[in-house]
Amino acid sequence: MFDRLRAFHQPTTVQAALRLTAAERRAGGPGRFVAGGTDLVVQGDRSLRWLVDLSRLPLRYVKTRRGAWVIGATSTMADLEHHAGLRRFADGILPEAAGTAGSPQIRNMGTLGGSLANASPAGDLAPPLLALDARAVVAGRGRRTVPLERFFRGPGRTVLNGGLLVEVVIPARPAPPGGRAAWSFHKLGRLQSDIAVVNAAAGVAVDRGGRCTWARIALGAVAPTPLRARQAEAGLVGRSFDAAAVAAAADRAAREARPVSDVRGSADYRRAMSRVLVARALGDCLERLGRTR
Amino acid sequence: MSDLVIHVTVNGEARRWSVAPGDLLLDVLRREGYWGVKKGCETGECGACTVLVDGRPVNSCLMFAAQAGGRSLTTVEGVSARDQLDRVQAAFLDHGGVQCGYCTPAMVLCTEALLARTPDPTEAEVREMLSGVLCRCTGYRKPVEAVLAAAGARAREAGPAASGAPKGRRRRRTGGRR
Amino acid sequence: MSSHRIVGQRARKVDGFKLVTGRTAFTDDIALPGLLVGRILGSPHAHARIRGIDVSRARALPGVHAVLTYQDVPRVPHTTAGQAWPEPSPYDTYLLDAKVRFVGDRVAAVAAESRAIAEEALRRIEVDWEVLPPVLDMEHAMDPGAPVIHDEPDATGIRDAARNLAGDIHTHIGDVEAGFRASDLVVEREYRTQRQQHAMIEPHIVICWLDADNRLVIRTSTQIPFHVRRQVAMILQIPVSRIRVIKPRIGGGFGGKQEMVLEDICAALALAAHRPVKLEYSRHEEFFMARTRHPQILRLKMGVKRDGTIVAHHMKVLAATGAYGSHCTTVQGNTGSKVLPLYRAPNLRFDCDVVYLTTPQAGAFRGYGCPQGYFAQESLVDEIAHELGMDPIAFRLKNAIRQGDVDELSAQLGEGKKGLPRTIRSCGLPQCLERGALAIGWKDKRNGGVRRRGTLLRGVGVATSMQGSGIAGVDFAGAFLKVNEDGSFNLQVGATDLGTGSDTVLAQIAAETLGVTLEKILVYSSDTDMTPFDVGAYASSTTIISGGAVKKAAEKTRDALCCFAAQLLGAAPEDLVCRDNRVVAPDGKSVTMAETATFAFYKEKTQVMEGASHFNTDSPPPFCATFAEVDVDTETGQVRVPHLVTAVDLGVAINPMQAEGQAEGAMAQGLGYALSEELVLDDAGRPLNASFCDYKIFTAKDMPKLTTILVETEEPLGPYGAKSIAEVPINGVAPAVANAIFDAAGIRLRRLPIRPDAVLAALAAQKGPA
Repeated sequence: MFDRLRAFHQPTTVQAALRLTAAERRAGGPGRFVAGGTDLVVQGDRSLRWLVDLSRLPLRYVKTRRGAWVIGATSTMADLEHHAGLRRFADGILPEAAGTAGSPQIRNMGTLGGSLANASPAGDLAPPLLALDARAVVAGRGRRTVPLERFFRGPGRTVLNGGLLVEVVIPARPAPPGGRAAWSFHKLGRLQSDIAVVNAAAGVAVDRGGRCTWARIALGAVAPTPLRARQAEAGLVGRSFDAAAVAAAADRAAREARPVSDVRGSADYRRAMSRVLVARALGDCLERLGRTR
Repeated sequence: MSDLVIHVTVNGEARRWSVAPGDLLLDVLRREGYWGVKKGCETGECGACTVLVDGRPVNSCLMFAAQAGGRSLTTVEGVSARDQLDRVQAAFLDHGGVQCGYCTPAMVLCTEALLARTPDPTEAEVREMLSGVLCRCTGYRKPVEAVLAAAGARAREAGPAASGAPKGRRRRRTGGRR
Repeated sequence: MSSHRIVGQRARKVDGFKLVTGRTAFTDDIALPGLLVGRILGSPHAHARIRGIDVSRARALPGVHAVLTYQDVPRVPHTTAGQAWPEPSPYDTYLLDAKVRFVGDRVAAVAAESRAIAEEALRRIEVDWEVLPPVLDMEHAMDPGAPVIHDEPDATGIRDAARNLAGDIHTHIGDVEAGFRASDLVVEREYRTQRQQHAMIEPHIVICWLDADNRLVIRTSTQIPFHVRRQVAMILQIPVSRIRVIKPRIGGGFGGKQEMVLEDICAALALAAHRPVKLEYSRHEEFFMARTRHPQILRLKMGVKRDGTIVAHHMKVLAATGAYGSHCTTVQGNTGSKVLPLYRAPNLRFDCDVVYLTTPQAGAFRGYGCPQGYFAQESLVDEIAHELGMDPIAFRLKNAIRQGDVDELSAQLGEGKKGLPRTIRSCGLPQCLERGALAIGWKDKRNGGVRRRGTLLRGVGVATSMQGSGIAGVDFAGAFLKVNEDGSFNLQVGATDLGTGSDTVLAQIAAETLGVTLEKILVYSSDTDMTPFDVGAYASSTTIISGGAVKKAAEKTRDALCCFAAQLLGAAPEDLVCRDNRVVAPDGKSVTMAETATFAFYKEKTQVMEGASHFNTDSPPPFCATFAEVDVDTETGQVRVPHLVTAVDLGVAINPMQAEGQAEGAMAQGLGYALSEELVLDDAGRPLNASFCDYKIFTAKDMPKLTTILVETEEPLGPYGAKSIAEVPINGVAPAVANAIFDAAGIRLRRLPIRPDAVLAALAAQKGPA
């Protein structure tokens, strides 16, 4: 209940949003950006005195720019879920992940920027974006680009430091010569609609000979931030990508997880499920690359 | 706390509301007499507060009233004319999809939105659409049957082009008898 | 059953129009000038005494109209349980008290001009606490030296407050020890069940005001309007005649509203403020400040002959009632009385202790003790059948109670006192098993079929259960009918439609009896001024008890109208038949009901109106066979249910569509009970998952394919042969799922909800030490 809110600004440009925010900070009293409100309203911080609504900024777009995907921060989860171009990119892991978040109503409201800024360790967009080497573009004093794996500092904490996340860039990934790439996303919840108990995204590129040239494994809900299982990734590169490699990588990734116990699952269970989901995601990649599971 | 004045369209009618900055859309709608919008959890989980904003279902408990400015809202009151029931509402009654009725306005609105975009949904699509409305009474079976029946009824009314006939093979009506 | 015209129809709900159009219907759908917002200050401690409480700063806040603490209200021990007077539950609850007994217990209450002001007022209340140790583990609540939760001197009806024993039950028929000695196989097992919360989509809400005659009006979402009236009268020490309780449409109850949860404190605020007050629970509060199902530990010991005959069954139950004892002996009594007699064992014994804990309060919840008992019993018989190499269905058929049997145990276990023996006059259990088995594909699936797909193991399981229909010798209802000149009728019933469709079912019974079409019956229900008494909606009583009253009233009304029609038709009244809104004479001449009524009104100057009361001295059980097909994921431990079949003998289905809907809703709650729902508390007694985010109920995407089979029998004690269906379908879901898991994977899960890590642990243990 926001009974102490005295101002609700609705700027139409990023510059205006930053100006208003700076002015409000000088005036004193806590305040925030709000877009879909699906985290902010639930958190119910009644100390908030001002809000800057981002829903009128021209930041709701999904497009390509010199081969890279560029997604505006106020694009909704539903925008991502239904985007035909994104569905054909990277085996559709980004729309697939977006489609598992919340409910249809939540997906019509919740935004990419809001989800990343909220920095839940279990956020569903983070693992696929990490697997795609995404970068966050932040507006504040000028613009800076932050690789997503350096974006999260802890549960609910990011490097934003008062700046505004305006866009996420997914670089074009050239496939190795004669090679191919595949991706997969898996989410485990208690029921079908749930906050992830564990989520995982994987991407693998192989050369003509079936040797792994590039690998990405990202896990959510098993550490204070979404994490890249770098040792597991390193263990894949340069080797033949096959069932044995998948099993070894899954084991390694599970050891890199640092889960806690909470009402959704115990740490032991989450660690065990990390192995299972990474194995399933890598197994999907194996299949999609035309190799046997 | 200074009031904001917002202009919204609700069920096709222009409305001008005076709201506090922190007012949530659910509370404002009920205050303005739209009793069909229900409060169930206030955290965007049960879906009883669902309204359509520009045709898309949202949880009105999570939306600031100010954010509705300039938008077009649909509540269950706007689904049908005064004493009538539309196909969806009739189907819910005919198929036993209503028990206590508390989640019914939300289910009806979600159905309207779905059928507007997907006139011939599969059962999986219907269940996905309804997954954001919690019901503790029905087990969802009859609401799903109602939606599928309403889709069938709509399709029959709209003619072959909307009935899920394979794309690319639109039948053109030629004049006169065959 | 289609000799009937209205009974048996899949009629639209009579209140359906306003529900699908969102018209004003529910408690909150009302604008009252001067309405204040009430809020309750809930205790942060599970167990504490209020050494001092200072509300002066709260009272001084502009916009606050009332602040109440225990010092401001009468102290009248009572129970909040919605039960017929004298209630069998202990009188251990107080409007406000100087002691709190669970996190969320009432500390104080305020009424203010807005929610924001009310919540600010709560923040301004200062409490000097003497914090006491919590009591959270039911297995240690009676230990010597355990903190005493109810140490107040004025509680009554508590079995042994010094040992935190709210109630206990000990009853038997025959001699179980002798029975075990005579058995070929004796199996003992322990089962544990959890706190399930009703999670109805409309939380508890009540609005109170003083009307122009200075009477207290309580507009509330309740299953028990008449009990509420009596309880509030007692607690606030005002006469029953000065109170009116009105129930509008309810957004679900499931037993959570068979309780006076907020009405007393809301009324107290309204009286203190001299303004209307609305008091509602937020969803968060609803989870732990309302009611839950009783968690139980059940220890069962069953002795059987090699041929599968059950010789002896001893059920020992330890249950937790939480901070207060509403329904403590009656729920647990049901665990014995409605579960044990399903099988015709000559030796039965039931021992039960119900303890207090400093936790959320347990109360009535659909099934009322049976889901716990059937999880245990149906899991055990499944295990025994397997041990004997018998088909589980054959085992059940061999032992199940039959038509003509007398259940003696019911005589021992009534509503907290001696009950009445129960005669089974209708029993469709064999048909339920047969048709249900066919629907799930039992024979094929149990004898082969595709059992493993990838990491999934598939299996099927069965469970049988029964319930009751009304409380014998206790539940009663009144109904009243008056005719209008157009041949329509006002039907006034105290019966409480909580979304169950009882208004519709009762209208169908009235229409059938009167020989009119359904739209001629105008139902007005659950208003203590305007409708006759009804105990309320619980114990699966409405169709059989309230329906019985409606049928009697309708017969009297029909007969009275026939006297007038007889004059118009020149025939004897007893020769007339009422049908399709007409009254027909043997020679084929007829008049319309409208003509008859008009004649009665304006020629004979008579308002034809009749009322009747009804109760039963028996409680005919509905029977249910539940079949579950499950997939066990051996890697994740998750259990998914692709298909759930429920076959119910409900007597005659007055409205088959509504009856199916009841079964399907019960199946959804049963699945949550089996697999996902549990209110979890931390070691300070605080709820950890008091939100839909983490208290997981099944959504449309989670639900399996449901097959609902109505098996019709004719129950002599029910109107048109009806029994009930509201509760029984929930009972078999958890055991059917557990038994299916055994069929799939060879593991027994004996704790609810069945969690994935428990499944994985059981699978690992099955493999043995590495």
